[in-house]
Amino acid sequence: MRFLAGLYAQLWVIQTLSLRETRTRFGNHSLGYVWALLEPLVWIGTFWGMFHIAQKAPPTGMDMLTFLATGVIPYDIFSKSTDRCAACIDANRGLLFYPQVHPLDIVFARAALEFATYLVVFIVILGAHALLIGGFAVEQPLMLLEGLVLASLLGTSLGLVFAALSVENNLIDRVRGPLMRPLFWTSGIFFTMNSLPLAAREVMGWNPVLHCVEFVRSGFFESYEGNHMSATYVLAWVLSFAFIGLTVERAVRHKVEVA
Amino acid sequence: MIELTDVTKGYMTPAGMHVVLDHITATFPTQESIGILGRNGAGKSTLLRVLGGAELPDKGRVKRTGRVSWPIGFAGGFSSSLTGRENCRFVARLYQADLDEVCNFAQQFADIGEYFHMPVRTYSSGMRARLAFGLSMAIDFDTYLVDEVTAVGDTNFQKKCKEAFTERQERSSVIIVSHQMSTIKQYCRRCAVLHRGKLVFYDDLAEATKLYEAA
Repeated sequence: MRFLAGLYAQLWVIQTLSLRETRTRFGNHSLGYVWALLEPLVWIGTFWGMFHIAQKAPPTGMDMLTFLATGVIPYDIFSKSTDRCAACIDANRGLLFYPQVHPLDIVFARAALEFATYLVVFIVILGAHALLIGGFAVEQPLMLLEGLVLASLLGTSLGLVFAALSVENNLIDRVRGPLMRPLFWTSGIFFTMNSLPLAAREVMGWNPVLHCVEFVRSGFFESYEGNHMSATYVLAWVLSFAFIGLTVERAVRHKVEVA
Repeated sequence: MIELTDVTKGYMTPAGMHVVLDHITATFPTQESIGILGRNGAGKSTLLRVLGGAELPDKGRVKRTGRVSWPIGFAGGFSSSLTGRENCRFVARLYQADLDEVCNFAQQFADIGEYFHMPVRTYSSGMRARLAFGLSMAIDFDTYLVDEVTAVGDTNFQKKCKEAFTERQERSSVIIVSHQMSTIKQYCRRCAVLHRGKLVFYDDLAEATKLYEAA
């Protein structure tokens, strides 16, 4: 019973925080929720332009918009979850005044909000595409969802590591950006794993985000079946990050300064 | 009731570890209001944050029973990009209280006019404290933790604070930190002095004052 009461209390706090995060995440500028939609669209547009200039076509059976959207969205879920969770303590020092609010609750609330946001953005983009161009079929919805959930778990657990380390040393906030940048180019936003030559695939295959993108595309397109992705591999990263993140968080918990 | 057992807390500074709370063992009964005297920088606010559970001690245990408020003072507890009203709704939801009731009470008590609907970042520190105070009064706590907040504002507001506490005397107590005895005298019969990391209780306020001023 005590466990259930505790679980209820924590879920209540996380829900309350999610509502607040929604306001602070989208309420600070006049574009509001539109920005969440606009940002990935800008990326899609940029890559579209680049493909156009290079006179390259999307892989067979995919059209340009869905090909790019199925890359940008899982990548955004991953990277935004990392960024938002990494900065969660700094942005919420005022909230830590309330003893029931714990940094981990903020991490969960932010992760949930990012996932929900990009899921909606994904549905809106694909829905608009279906209305304008026609033809909307998700080959294996569960596999698509698997890719998105893996991307979210990966980003959240990595964000937790950064958040915990930043309590000890704020240098970590500076190196985070450069550290994450290579992932942008190797996560398969504008290529598929199957299309890579063997040598490149063996290197890129280390990047777990690429695996998430592969799951999303394999789930979405009838014509595409990734042959090289592995959920176990991604989960190994997730578990390692979660283990490190939770351990460091526990060790530095008493050093968090509220303000 | 709040029980501290062997509580130690310090901060890392370039000059080395600065110990703020040094192996403190103390009990704060629910029904008794206690004042904590200390000079600026003695660690009063840190003690209050540890009592409220906002910060954890490096060593030792803090056991709280009953509803204990967050440390009410000039700093913290609000997100500056949200309006006063939004902050009140957030806190009310957090404590599972009635949202509208809490908002109305806090708005009336804080008496900050149109600012209630403006982002907290536009507030002066006095306004923040007024809102924090009003908000905490809107939620029923067994123990209120107060950080010199009653010293803010005009005499009118100070009177309001005093009245609010008098009204709650029967069911709640207050732990108030201050650097001057005159503030503590208004609320408490017993006090403790925080000096060099140690907390010493006095049943006689006059005696505490004497030792505090001598220290």
